[in-house]
Amino acid sequence: MIDALQFLWPPFLVAVCLVGIHAYFGIQVLARKVIFVDLALAQIAALGATVAFMLGHPAQSIATYGYSLSFTFLAAVLLAFTRSWGTRVPQEALIGVIYVVAAATAILLIDRAPQGAEHLKQILTGNILTSGFNDVALIVPLYAAVGLLHWVLRRHMAGAGSLVWEFVFYATFGIVVTSSVAIAGVLLVFSFLIIPAAIGVMFADSLSRQLAIGWIAGTLVSAAGLAASFVFDLPTGAAMVCAFGVSLALAGALYPFLRSDRRRSMHTAVTTVRWVGAIILVASALQLVLAPRADQPLFDFAEYVVPSLRAVYFTRAEATTFADASEHAERYRTQAEQLNETERRNRTEGQSLDDFTVARISSFLKSYGEMSKGEQFVMGEVRMRARERIRWPAALGLLAAALLLAPVPWRRLWPRQIG
Amino acid sequence: MVLRSALLVALLAAVSAAFAQERVQVVTTTTDLRSLAVAVGGDRIVAVSLVPPGMDAEEYQPKPQDVLRLKQARLVVRVGLDFDLWVDRLLAQVGRAEISRGGAAYVDASLAIAVLELRGMSVGPGDGHAHGSGNPHYWLDPKNAETITANILETLARIDPANAAAYEANRQAFLTRLTTKLAEWEMRLSPLRTMPIVAYHNSWPYFARRFRLDFVGFIETKPGVPPSPSHLAGIVRDMRARGARIVVREPNEPERDVAFVASRAGAQVVTLAASVGALPRADDYISLFDANVEALTAAAATR
Repeated sequence: MIDALQFLWPPFLVAVCLVGIHAYFGIQVLARKVIFVDLALAQIAALGATVAFMLGHPAQSIATYGYSLSFTFLAAVLLAFTRSWGTRVPQEALIGVIYVVAAATAILLIDRAPQGAEHLKQILTGNILTSGFNDVALIVPLYAAVGLLHWVLRRHMAGAGSLVWEFVFYATFGIVVTSSVAIAGVLLVFSFLIIPAAIGVMFADSLSRQLAIGWIAGTLVSAAGLAASFVFDLPTGAAMVCAFGVSLALAGALYPFLRSDRRRSMHTAVTTVRWVGAIILVASALQLVLAPRADQPLFDFAEYVVPSLRAVYFTRAEATTFADASEHAERYRTQAEQLNETERRNRTEGQSLDDFTVARISSFLKSYGEMSKGEQFVMGEVRMRARERIRWPAALGLLAAALLLAPVPWRRLWPRQIG
Repeated sequence: MVLRSALLVALLAAVSAAFAQERVQVVTTTTDLRSLAVAVGGDRIVAVSLVPPGMDAEEYQPKPQDVLRLKQARLVVRVGLDFDLWVDRLLAQVGRAEISRGGAAYVDASLAIAVLELRGMSVGPGDGHAHGSGNPHYWLDPKNAETITANILETLARIDPANAAAYEANRQAFLTRLTTKLAEWEMRLSPLRTMPIVAYHNSWPYFARRFRLDFVGFIETKPGVPPSPSHLAGIVRDMRARGARIVVREPNEPERDVAFVASRAGAQVVTLAASVGALPRADDYISLFDANVEALTAAAATR
């Protein structure tokens, strides 16, 4: 637990800072309808860094940062103009073009300077987990300055301003994105930017309320994502992005309850859930009857959650074969692991193994692998045959369940004369 | 005038073509194999590596020029063990039977190598490789160069029998030099035998086996997937408990993640080249080990 806090505390602080500035920019970006502008700016900054690498500047040097920043400002000029150009072609299209051309150019340059490949990959994935207090110390003054500037210029930042104010908007946004993407990667920065802002816009009308909702939601979801990544042993950035996705889905599901007639919303929700459930059951029944040897997602999921379900439809012989094969597969796996471990330990401990012994170990490992695969094939085959055997009754059962679940008004369909 | 210069150009082209034909065109997938092919072929061959120095060979994206290179190649040498799978599609595109799998001018350098960390066809738990053919970084054991050069020599002597004796002599000279060097490297690395080491990617089992080094953990558990917080916490805990002072990184691996682990565990980062050309000093097979041994001993001395 202390371990967890020690590891998650710095990235959480960084996430709070990033949510703070990005929720604000997100609201602006949503209002301007330039959703993917952060990707374009981040990619342009990465292109600048790549050019710096090619010219021989080391990563994280002032020169590299200078190149990134100059490229970002150039992009800000371009973006400021895209609004006036965007009368016939939508502005988003031009932003997309800037993104892909910058990305492709960076790839072309990387081809000449392989040491930049790592940097480009880093930009894409980032790793908020390995960020720390030194990052916080860098971004807090920067974001505070940008935030203050925007507060002072708040009348000009509301959108539909002149070219100069548009440039100021994109340039400051570029500075923010350049630093945040280097820390968290484009996927996570995009989530920070759009999702808290979207939740805020959904539930409030004034900028201050939208911001407050966005900040609270963003902070809570970041904490949840970080915690999930620790508990379930998941890559942090990806776990946080998915947590943000789930939060938006929840907010979307909650929206009708808060904004319109509660009873009608409830009714619609229940009906939808029942229809979806019925459709899944019917589809599973069809899949089982038409292709009993193919994957059966519903069965597979149910058996994954409750393995003892197999006992319901396996005959005794099938159950024995299945258990046998599973036990053997496990035994081969452990034996292979033991051999690998022996070889690994012998690299440093005791007498080193000669090539002949190592070759023998590796041929044993190969056989264990094949045998284990064979057992897994047996397990799959037993399960398929059992399902094939029970497919008609099982499919009928699924159809009956679907009929019960589907929200069809049976009473109204029933002919009155009989009753 | 124009005619004369055109004639001159044509003549030059013919001469250089004839000259090039004299030397055997060898195409290798990686720079390591290129260096070993040159060690056998000497100046009787022209060897090119498809993957440029410093690039991650496991994620290489072939270019149109590569097809051209393979079309002109008289000998193809690959790493095998699922390391350079992309070359199969290239070879299929080129469609020459002699350099395709099983062809007379095709060398899978992993033939007869004692493979480590074989795990059937399943994904191994946390070893950073998503394939079951064993760990493919076998050239990092200098002893394996004997097998690799033998594989190259056998095929090279078959397609160019006139020079077979010269190739044989080249290989012997190279192996003699390597044996002396190996003794020197083993001696220099002997103080590191008791030091636990952590690496970013599991490229080092063959190196570890030869020099009896103790790689206790890897930051990356699956290729291309960033490590989870619990995994990193576990690594740092292990490093503290076992007193690991060295974290090994290759130049194309994320600097931040490695620096993070090193600073948490109070260790230092050592940049090693896992292939020829990845570091400026590692410009052939022998200097690759020279550079790595130098970096490791320097790190061990400063602790």
